[in-house]
Amino acid sequence: MTFDEAQGYVVLATLAAPLLTMLLLVFVPGTQKTAVRYISAVAGAIMLGLSVYIFTAYQVGDGHNDIQMQLRWTWVENVAFLKKDGVTLALGVDGISATLALLNGIVAFAATLVSWKLDFRTKDFFILFWMLVAGVYGTFFSLDLFFWFFFYELAVVPLYLLIGVWGSTRKEYGALKLTLMLVGGSALIWIGIFATVNEAGLGTFDMRQLWAAGADGTLDPTFQKTFFPFMVIGCGVLAALWPLHTWSPDGHMSAPTAVSMVHAGVLMKLGAFGIIRLGIQLMPEGAEFWMPTLMALGVMGAVYGATAALTQRDFKLISGYSSVSHMGYVLMGLATMNAIGVTGAVLQMFSHGVMTALVFLMIGALYDQAHTRDMKDFGGLAKVMPVWVIFYTLAGLANVGLPGLSGFTAEFHIFVGTFRTYPLAGALAIFAAALAAAYMLRMFAIVFFGPLNPRWAGLKEMTPLEKVSGGLLIASMLAMGLYWAPFTDRIGASVTLLPGVTG
Amino acid sequence: MGAEQAWLLPAVPAGFFILLALCGRYLPRQGDVLGVLAIGTSFVLFFFVLADYLGIGEGTDLVLKSWAWSEIGDFSLRFGIAVDPITIVMLGVVTSVALMVNIFSIGYMKGEARYYWFFAVLQLFAASMLLLVLADNLLLVYVSWELVGVCSFLLIGFYWEKRSATEAAKKAFITTRIGDVGLLIGIILLWREAGTFNIQEIIHAAEEGEFSSTYLTVSMLFIFLGAMGKSAQFPFHVWLPDAMEGPTPVSALIHAATMVVAGVYLVARLLPIYEVADHTMIVITLTGLITAVLTGFMAFAQTDIKKVLAYSTVGQLGFMFIALGSGEPAAAMFHLMTHAFFKALLFLGSGSVILATHHNQDVSKMGGLWKKLPVTGTTFFIGSAALAGVVPLAGFWSKDEILNAANTEWGAWALALTAAAAVMTAFYTTRLFIRTFMGEPRDRHVYDHTEEPGWVMGGPLVFLASLAVVSGFLVFSGVGSAIGFPGGITEFVYLHHPHEYSINWGLAALSLGISGLGIAIGAWMYWGNSLARSTKLAESYPGAYRWLLNKFYFDEAYQWCIDHLVLGFSYIVSWFDRHVVNNTGVDGSGEATVYGGFVLKFLQTGKIPNYAMGIALGVVGLAFAGIMVRG
Repeated sequence: MTFDEAQGYVVLATLAAPLLTMLLLVFVPGTQKTAVRYISAVAGAIMLGLSVYIFTAYQVGDGHNDIQMQLRWTWVENVAFLKKDGVTLALGVDGISATLALLNGIVAFAATLVSWKLDFRTKDFFILFWMLVAGVYGTFFSLDLFFWFFFYELAVVPLYLLIGVWGSTRKEYGALKLTLMLVGGSALIWIGIFATVNEAGLGTFDMRQLWAAGADGTLDPTFQKTFFPFMVIGCGVLAALWPLHTWSPDGHMSAPTAVSMVHAGVLMKLGAFGIIRLGIQLMPEGAEFWMPTLMALGVMGAVYGATAALTQRDFKLISGYSSVSHMGYVLMGLATMNAIGVTGAVLQMFSHGVMTALVFLMIGALYDQAHTRDMKDFGGLAKVMPVWVIFYTLAGLANVGLPGLSGFTAEFHIFVGTFRTYPLAGALAIFAAALAAAYMLRMFAIVFFGPLNPRWAGLKEMTPLEKVSGGLLIASMLAMGLYWAPFTDRIGASVTLLPGVTG
Repeated sequence: MGAEQAWLLPAVPAGFFILLALCGRYLPRQGDVLGVLAIGTSFVLFFFVLADYLGIGEGTDLVLKSWAWSEIGDFSLRFGIAVDPITIVMLGVVTSVALMVNIFSIGYMKGEARYYWFFAVLQLFAASMLLLVLADNLLLVYVSWELVGVCSFLLIGFYWEKRSATEAAKKAFITTRIGDVGLLIGIILLWREAGTFNIQEIIHAAEEGEFSSTYLTVSMLFIFLGAMGKSAQFPFHVWLPDAMEGPTPVSALIHAATMVVAGVYLVARLLPIYEVADHTMIVITLTGLITAVLTGFMAFAQTDIKKVLAYSTVGQLGFMFIALGSGEPAAAMFHLMTHAFFKALLFLGSGSVILATHHNQDVSKMGGLWKKLPVTGTTFFIGSAALAGVVPLAGFWSKDEILNAANTEWGAWALALTAAAAVMTAFYTTRLFIRTFMGEPRDRHVYDHTEEPGWVMGGPLVFLASLAVVSGFLVFSGVGSAIGFPGGITEFVYLHHPHEYSINWGLAALSLGISGLGIAIGAWMYWGNSLARSTKLAESYPGAYRWLLNKFYFDEAYQWCIDHLVLGFSYIVSWFDRHVVNNTGVDGSGEATVYGGFVLKFLQTGKIPNYAMGIALGVVGLAFAGIMVRG
């Protein structure tokens, strides 16, 4: 067994950890809520540790830049239309998925800590929650289209129950709309996958063989141009691609805190990740043809989301629209098809992940006590919840793109990449960042500052667990904001190898 | 310790910021002494840097040190520091004023809530500002540019319980942020052609003509937008007077001496590029002229002591831009330095007055305070005289240089406008001084309860007052060489060639006349703190007075635009998103599906003949289609 293969088992363990936790929780009586919580917290910590290991162990340098830590188990082959390597459980990471796996570890652990006070059907909640996390890890690690899709669905489906059962504010509507839109997108992806496997005629779902087929023209250019939109629209729904974004404000408004954190923090990134894996890598010709359109839609989302956020009154709607805006940046970065922009897009996925998770954590900490999210009800909260205000302010400043926090690092790379090919789009995106300052500061001014509304004199500071959870997210934001070379080294190494991406 | 260790200057306050922010409240005296210590260390280090830089001798333009930061393909970033004469001037100004402000704040902020936080943010500000002036590349400039902006936001909003302070902080941040959009666009545009963020390399590329003419002009004007925002130049001038909501030491440090001059610094730093970019110099000059004249008018009718000084600051920044637009970085940096000293002095003096009168800022309730506040009054007098341009104080020499620059480069019209603005400066300064310190007290109660604050506040005033007296002499070659410089300021800071300063007697006479005229009008109108003449004037021209009082209604106009255009557009987008995209598009397709199901269910009748009919029609249809396709 080579070292790389041994590390492959680490990847497998990271994927297996949430699944085993699910299995373990099934055998814990539902009344033993504390046990459920402790098991979940320990499991979350283990997953975070494994994710950190994968991220740090990913080697950068000449001859190292490809997919590493591979593991391959044959699942089904030589049956019906499947030939050799028909379906394999092939796992592995590149610089992009190593970074995103780290994000998943951080956000999932933070969300576990925040869910400590969840008291309604705790066991069921955590079983579904770990299913979601397993789906996310699986999608990041899979190198086989079949399993990629399998895990993608595994991540999406529990959302319906998590929002529908544990949510608030029009939760049935939010959950239903979200699930239907995402499943609709999945249908497009599934069509795209089958069409690709059929067109390539290799009888395999193995991504690496299919990527090669896409690059060397086995997948006909016309085919690529036809089916690229299937993949991008299908994945784009989850990445809040304008105009398919409307599940985002409603879904976030309805979802419970931990689900909002994981959903906005990690799940939305699956969509953008899918655009890389199934779009850029699988259909480079299609990508070249369609990227200007994606750029236009990305700019549209960035400006539109920021504009709509300006006049919202519900915290979660602000964050929902701001997510649309920030995911618009991600799409823009991908659409640049140059190394700086695409790296920026992945940086933004990480940055937006931790930042939005922190924002939803803050909103949850307030909503649990106040039971309203209308900004106009508040005022002067810095008096009663100073730490909460500092945390939220940091999240907001990252959102605004303040240097020193992760948002700037990511947005800066995206802007630079965009300017290289589309200066006008880049200028509009920078303008949207100024709008972000306006909507964030408007909220700060109304909610945090000014005289304290006596109705809220009794509000309590965040719990210690919430502080730990928020502190972890803030540390991540600062790490990327102050010294981003560890991130750009890994991401850049893989991004420069993507087909069609220029230096 | 040599000049290449200059990175320690920002690093020390940055470290103390972390310390103070995290555990300041548990330290004895909430760590205020540590704040003074941190910035004091930077102040001392500055002299090492200065000595080392001067010791290297002529011909060495720049001391550089840089670190590799990140690399993606061929896109690599290096961050570093650069020390050159402009940086030296800025370092001296920032460290000295910041030290004085820190000491002054011990007295001024005593007993305030969040005392440690105030000192912590002051350290963060000092660190960011020092990084800004040391940065060797535009990206690092942008980074620290934003950081000083956020410090300004935090400090303007220091009294966040007050709605007005929060609003002012928000206004300052967003207004400058609009300029920053331009700055970032400009920086990236320059990178796009030059392939680097390094300032020296970009300057080199521009001088070699690597940019097309229009492209360079557009990029540099975008960058100038950032400078206008930060330095509160017309039409971005609205945020600075509101920023006076912050504690007064903050106004002295950030909103008079250091952060607001960042725009001047940036343009001075990039002046070699502006010079080769067509049409940009006239834009810079005109911006400065318009601002200087406009804010001169605005300061006439203000009665808040800090607001008068704020408008004055904006106007003086306008003077610096006139100098830059005239291609004279020496004049701009010289005025930047002298202005930093006397304006910081005036702001700290006004802080002393405000504290002494128990938080009264309205000059219409003051008068005759000189007797009560001998130290504050005397230092304020020196500061006012320097601002008005009285010979031989600092302001006289630097303003003279600017008049000279405007005259040489643009001719009589620019000289006339600059001179007019200078007369207005002398006038409102005289007005402010008389109404605060001379004549009869307007409000007996305020007067009786006024007492001089202690020496922790008086000391910085005296120090800055002495600088306001002597710093102007740096223009003379003899003075400069006596303290180790290559000569006067024009032989130290220059664009192409050093030249020795020589007095232009005609302009010096004009300069004297300007300050004399302004002071005379001011004294004639307000002597003895009597408002009879000014009230009469205001009553004779009520329309003009109303426009002055309301600052030409800029704020109202901007507010209208925000409420009706920006927010209106946002409401339209939100409505569109809810009703068109979501309710019609998304929910609509859901409802269409449901309706489709409702309609189609009637096909399932359960009657065999119907199904048989369907099958038959299907067969016929398929057969027909097949024939059509096959031909």
